[in-house]
Amino acid sequence: MKRATQSTETPQVGRSVPRLESWLKVSGRAEYVHNLRLPGMLYGKIFRSSVAHGRIKRLDVAAAQALAGVYRVVTSKEVREVIPDPYYGPAFHDQPILAIDKVRYVGEPVAVVLASDPHVAEEAVHLITAEYEELPAVYDEVEAVTSKAIVHEVLRPAGTFPDLKHLKDRKNTNVALEFRLRRGNPEKAFQDAHRVFEHRFSTQQVMHTPLEPLVSVAESTESSLTIHTASQSPSFVRIEIARLLGWPENKVRVRVPFLGGGFGAKLYIKLEALVSVLSLITKKPVKISLTMEEQFFTITKHASTFRIKSGVSKDGKITARECEVWWNGGAYADIGPRVTQKSGFTAPGPYDIEHVAVDSYALYTNLPPAGALRGFGIPQLVWAYEGHTDLMARELGIDPIEFRRRNLLREGRPQATGTVMKDAALEKVLERLETLMDWRTPLNRGTGTVKKGRGIAIGFKACVSPTTSLAAVNVNADGSCIVYCSTADMGQGSDTAMAQIAGEVLHMAAEAITVVHSDTDVTPYDMATLGSRSLFHMGNAVKLAAEDALNKLNVLRKELGLPADCPIPDIFKKKYGMQAGNVSGTGSYIPSYKSPDANGLTDNATPFWMVGASGVELEVDTETGKVGLTRLVNVADVGTPINPKIVETQISGAAIMQLGFTLHEKMVFDSQGQLRNASFAEYKIPGMLDLPASMVNEAVVAEQKSGPFGGKGVGESGTFGVSPAIANAIHDAVGVRLTSLPLNPESIWEKLK
Amino acid sequence: MRREVQFQLNGRDVSAQVAPHESLVEVLRESFGLYGARESCGQGMCGCCTLVVNGTAVSGCLYLATLAEGARVDTIEGGTELDAVQQAFIESGAFQCGFCTPGFILMTRQLLDEQPDPDDEAIKHYLSGNLCRCAAYPEIIEAVKLAARKRRKA
Amino acid sequence: MSPFELAAPSSIAEAIALLEEEGARPLSGGTALMLMMKAGVLRPPRLVSLRNLGLGKIETGGSLRIGAMTTLSALERSPEVRNGWPVIVRTLRRLSNVRVRNVATVGGALAHADPHMDLPPLLSALGARVKLVGKGGERTIPVEALYAGYLETTLRNELITHVEIPPLGKRGAAYLKCTTRSADDWPAVGVAVVLGDDTRIFVSAATDRPTRIAGEAAIAGLKIEGDLHGSAEYKKHLVRVYLRRAIDEARNAVH
Repeated sequence: MKRATQSTETPQVGRSVPRLESWLKVSGRAEYVHNLRLPGMLYGKIFRSSVAHGRIKRLDVAAAQALAGVYRVVTSKEVREVIPDPYYGPAFHDQPILAIDKVRYVGEPVAVVLASDPHVAEEAVHLITAEYEELPAVYDEVEAVTSKAIVHEVLRPAGTFPDLKHLKDRKNTNVALEFRLRRGNPEKAFQDAHRVFEHRFSTQQVMHTPLEPLVSVAESTESSLTIHTASQSPSFVRIEIARLLGWPENKVRVRVPFLGGGFGAKLYIKLEALVSVLSLITKKPVKISLTMEEQFFTITKHASTFRIKSGVSKDGKITARECEVWWNGGAYADIGPRVTQKSGFTAPGPYDIEHVAVDSYALYTNLPPAGALRGFGIPQLVWAYEGHTDLMARELGIDPIEFRRRNLLREGRPQATGTVMKDAALEKVLERLETLMDWRTPLNRGTGTVKKGRGIAIGFKACVSPTTSLAAVNVNADGSCIVYCSTADMGQGSDTAMAQIAGEVLHMAAEAITVVHSDTDVTPYDMATLGSRSLFHMGNAVKLAAEDALNKLNVLRKELGLPADCPIPDIFKKKYGMQAGNVSGTGSYIPSYKSPDANGLTDNATPFWMVGASGVELEVDTETGKVGLTRLVNVADVGTPINPKIVETQISGAAIMQLGFTLHEKMVFDSQGQLRNASFAEYKIPGMLDLPASMVNEAVVAEQKSGPFGGKGVGESGTFGVSPAIANAIHDAVGVRLTSLPLNPESIWEKLK
Repeated sequence: MRREVQFQLNGRDVSAQVAPHESLVEVLRESFGLYGARESCGQGMCGCCTLVVNGTAVSGCLYLATLAEGARVDTIEGGTELDAVQQAFIESGAFQCGFCTPGFILMTRQLLDEQPDPDDEAIKHYLSGNLCRCAAYPEIIEAVKLAARKRRKA
Repeated sequence: MSPFELAAPSSIAEAIALLEEEGARPLSGGTALMLMMKAGVLRPPRLVSLRNLGLGKIETGGSLRIGAMTTLSALERSPEVRNGWPVIVRTLRRLSNVRVRNVATVGGALAHADPHMDLPPLLSALGARVKLVGKGGERTIPVEALYAGYLETTLRNELITHVEIPPLGKRGAAYLKCTTRSADDWPAVGVAVVLGDDTRIFVSAATDRPTRIAGEAAIAGLKIEGDLHGSAEYKKHLVRVYLRRAIDEARNAVH
């Protein structure tokens, strides 16, 4: 392997540096918790609920316990001996480590079998029997508002969201959270409008299916715990596990190597609390590694219903908008309340609308829990508002792009919350999309049984706020550099990006820099790797840390009477008499933020906006309803790309993933809440043969002035516009409007026949 | 009941104690510490478990280790240098999280052995049984074509 | 997976004797069987491997005679098959994936009796026959006679040893399938057509077994159920569309 020279004048930012971990990944040697084996380790296999809602009348583990090779069977009884109040969750402490008295969805963990042979553990799980007194269940998010089937008797908001305090002890409701935004006087504005339009859209429950399924390993001593986990949020895991155990943070260590995909599935607490308590009970290392099937029973994406109403003036300006969004959170809240709030306030879309009303509800239902999935609620919202936009444009006889142009938020204008738009290249993205789609050239839709159509859509997202990132940068005695940060590299290239940022500051080649993976004993606090926040927040922290290190080196030079261009190794030699010592720089970044008032309004809702738009050309086979994409164009505003190649693949990857959610994927339940398609044989994610015939992915020339070297996140932007662009193109091709996902051939054929 | 199974692993003669129900992926992990082949979907659909047995690619998570008796098994860990395919994957940025990457590389080697100059259609068909949730598919297609060019030069 | 014993007999007679045992199942390619065992659907105490029975040959000389343990890959690569029965090679190219085809066998593909599979309707349309060997002796039946229903065969503890396919000659043949989700999916509908004096049309996937029909008029009477791939009404419609397309393709097929 060629060693890159350490000091360089070549800018590191803006370089398409090949990922630092390339050799590891192509030689099969990258470290994943999936591969981890520890001496004396026990494997845990989970026994799960077979009913959607019920009281546990009887749980019989004797036969399982008696099977040769079984070490122990654990239920909530044993868990409570270690953790008396074993409920966790980032927004609500509503999720028990193992079910207590009640089960709330089919697949909920009820007991665990431990054995040193995972096959034996699995056999033993089949020997466990349980009897439930079934309770009425609710599955639909709108129905859940008024349903008599109540999933949680009492609400238990956690301290992490200060604005949930008022919900404590609230009873007899499935509404976990209501977010409300009011600006101006929507009612009057609707009365005065030239035209009023109202539509309803819905999306389905899907799963991230990272190819490395969720997995965690815990090992313990009597007073400390090490958790090796595929997690995007190691710092949160440490805090939450310490809280559950009543221990100080420094006695819980969380290690995260590479993730085999995350997409939001591997956040907060998934298996970490369970393996921790199992390790403390058995005093042995314990690993729980889910199968692909089990992932569907662990965390999913919110299904949603969105009623959207707009008032439009004579000259095609949207003057009023009313948004009512119901989010299907499943049986446990996970981070659903944040989706409801933080995505909720962008429900009106990237449009300049004076009078706005938003009501966004997080609902409990008896389905597998929903949480964060790439886009974090934005794709569901864009699905609705961009379908709505297109329908209005059609009705009004205005070109879809022109209609958007008339209403798009511009720099300096206030978004629905009142926060002024800054560095959000909405106009530029729309323009670029128009050019790449050759929109002004009329499209020949065809006269045979195959019809062509095209459509576009644009969406945006406010980065979640306020969140904190800290980083450390060490410069060693030989001048080499190490970056310490708790950002998890799940394939988005964060290691490489952080090395590039540090390298830019220190005038070092990114390839020469070592990035240490999350280890909470070593790497400082980070809110989490989610919501496209890391490039901006951690990037800023790394930049500050590198600047701090650089500064310390310069101070040292001065103190030692060395010239300003003295090479780094010489500084240490002078200071310590030999090759010894290091300089540590630290950086901490938290953007400013202002909490919304009672009307959901604030002038500082977010440190940066993401913008993503898509255009689609497709063919509809009118005899079968089958859709073939001939062209998919994705344009995003990522500020200044730190690594252009990685940026392009992030836009592309997000768009293709969203294609799956648009056309193929859906978790299908029967009337008893049983999932019918929890495997790749029956839950179909995009493969090679599903790619559009042609794809173009571009980041517009833009700058996020508050971002590190002008950059900001890109991981989710490619998801925003894909679904509505396709629905708009289908409408263009065959005059059929579909308002719920996925868009399958039968639903198109149904409307055509 | 464990039985000894003897086979050739990445060119070396080896043996392992194997239970009849254990898959080749499990045995490679437990007995040989080789983690490049991974069980993900468990159904042979994703290709993360790809292994090469007697020169043909198989789904290791469905391949009983006992049946490897006397066979030649090759994994991603074989070889001392990166080959043209691995280098092409790096240059094309043809991976993100990397979990599916060994499977794609082994399949690409097989593809190019059979078809030295495949077009996009041939590539997509041959690799249709390898899934990438990060969706690095376009880059992978480019990597395969680049690898084909590299192989031709050599 | 629950523990089991693996036997590897070296003669067909030995294999049949082992299969007489309660719960024993034959192991050919192992793809479908492994899936069912991992899912816990099947828990056989003993598997009887068929790999040492010398059933892996492809012979031509007019008809195509395929040993039941021939892998789908070997069939796909055979120049004789490509020349004499190109519709088989075209179909195999889209059958599951390369790794599956490398280990799955023709016998296994026929004996599994999953109506979504591609070979049963195609081979039925080609007029193929299978040779069966059991305790009571040998018999030969048309491929379509293997099927009693979903995952149900008419085999009586018998092994498929060979498949014999008559010459295709200049007759047009096509197999089309329709997937309604991603491209690599079990089909909602499969239609195999071989044109000639005795045109043979078989519908699969939507039906619980490969079902011969005389023409479009017979589609209305097909017993079709809705599932994750589509409703009964939609699938029936797809059968009509794909029958017409398969006939067109068969007419235009160039040998």
